Amino acid sequence: MTPLLSFANVGKCFPDGGREITVLDGVSFEVDAGVFVGLYGPRRSGKSTLLRIAAGIEQPDTGTVRYDGRALQDMTRSQRGRLLRHELAFMASGDWRPHPGESVVDHVAMSLGSEGLTVRDARRRALGSLERVGVTATCADEPAGSLSLAERTLVMLARAIVHEPRVLLVDEPAVMPSLSDRSRFYVLLRELAGERGMALLVVSEEMGALQGSGLMMSISGGEVCTTAEQGIVVPLPRRSARAAERSGS
Amino acid sequence: MAEAITNTRGWMRGASAPLRGALLGIVLERPGHGGDLASRLVARLGATWRIDTNDVYRLLDQLVAEDLVTAREEPRRDNARRTRVVYRPTDLTEGAMTAWMETLLPREPVRLGLHAKLAVARDEDAYRLLAALRDYERECLRLAQLVAPSANEMRSWTALVMDCTRDAVWRQLQADVDWATQTRQRINERIRARER
Repeated sequence: MTPLLSFANVGKCFPDGGREITVLDGVSFEVDAGVFVGLYGPRRSGKSTLLRIAAGIEQPDTGTVRYDGRALQDMTRSQRGRLLRHELAFMASGDWRPHPGESVVDHVAMSLGSEGLTVRDARRRALGSLERVGVTATCADEPAGSLSLAERTLVMLARAIVHEPRVLLVDEPAVMPSLSDRSRFYVLLRELAGERGMALLVVSEEMGALQGSGLMMSISGGEVCTTAEQGIVVPLPRRSARAAERSGS
Repeated sequence: MAEAITNTRGWMRGASAPLRGALLGIVLERPGHGGDLASRLVARLGATWRIDTNDVYRLLDQLVAEDLVTAREEPRRDNARRTRVVYRPTDLTEGAMTAWMETLLPREPVRLGLHAKLAVARDEDAYRLLAALRDYERECLRLAQLVAPSANEMRSWTALVMDCTRDAVWRQLQADVDWATQTRQRINERIRARER
């Protein structure tokens, strides 16, 4: 079966002064439909770059990223843009940019702009999405700029899922100050993925944010370590005949 | 009562003391047969404790010997003609549990096989260490995968303390992964420096 999203030997470098920093080095993994993949890594370990490459926002220097068997590098910019608007959803805590005075529901409905819906239908779908993530109808009419960090994160999630993507890419969900808000958000993410059969790729610098993932990975020095790999089996040295004789076997 | 508790302090010693204490808490909450107590203990502490059911029976026997738990054959609910051993608290259990909660238990030694290898590794072992550290990192990630995710609501005390227990495991595994990755980086840097 073709994986929904796959990385094959992906590499990425960034210039740093006169040098080059390797952010991703031969990264390979697969994400199947409906599976939750968690990537743990400290700050500046390359996890956000990996996610942006998965979304087709950035291009790798080497290797291939495929979505449903198609290489993202072979697609035109507009094809990748369409993919990101329909099939993939990318949610990053730093990407909160509502227009001044825009209401919460309009902020979510705006992302449906390219789907040929009437404003009324787009708002109705946005309200449904907001309701699913627990944002009440009264809050939906508030200015998006007035929301707390926890509410903002929920609205970003509503915006990400409103076009019913097959893959949801989440960059750092552990931004909410309250532990119980965070916990509720992680549960919500898993529930949404489960009920929609959506694949989930979450990157975080907190391992707790990846709870419930079916495949766990970590990243450091550009390399990814994954639970899908088999450990290296080092054969035990053979016992010498003399040692065997001593132990009587 | 106080004297009785002092006399039972032996159960608080040794590597299995935390499991014996946790078992007392489980029995106090609700009596049960061995299998039931073992599965409740696993649910509370999580799969990363790698609790063996046979060990639970051994620990229960020790608690019975200390008079902290009684074991009595009782008819099964589903088939009255058959019996099974049900473990119940005694008059001493409540006090022993409180004493355990109040006792400052010594910290477990930080004794990881990989630490010992690292401590005496030779120059030529660098690549072997890198492989061992990567395996250890993967093992930590596998253990993290075993931790049951949190529930939606933390209204009850039980849900709260279970979540705090899970959080402790996450944080410990996260720290171990950080250590393994940083150590790999340091060894890699040295290998590269020597090659230049």
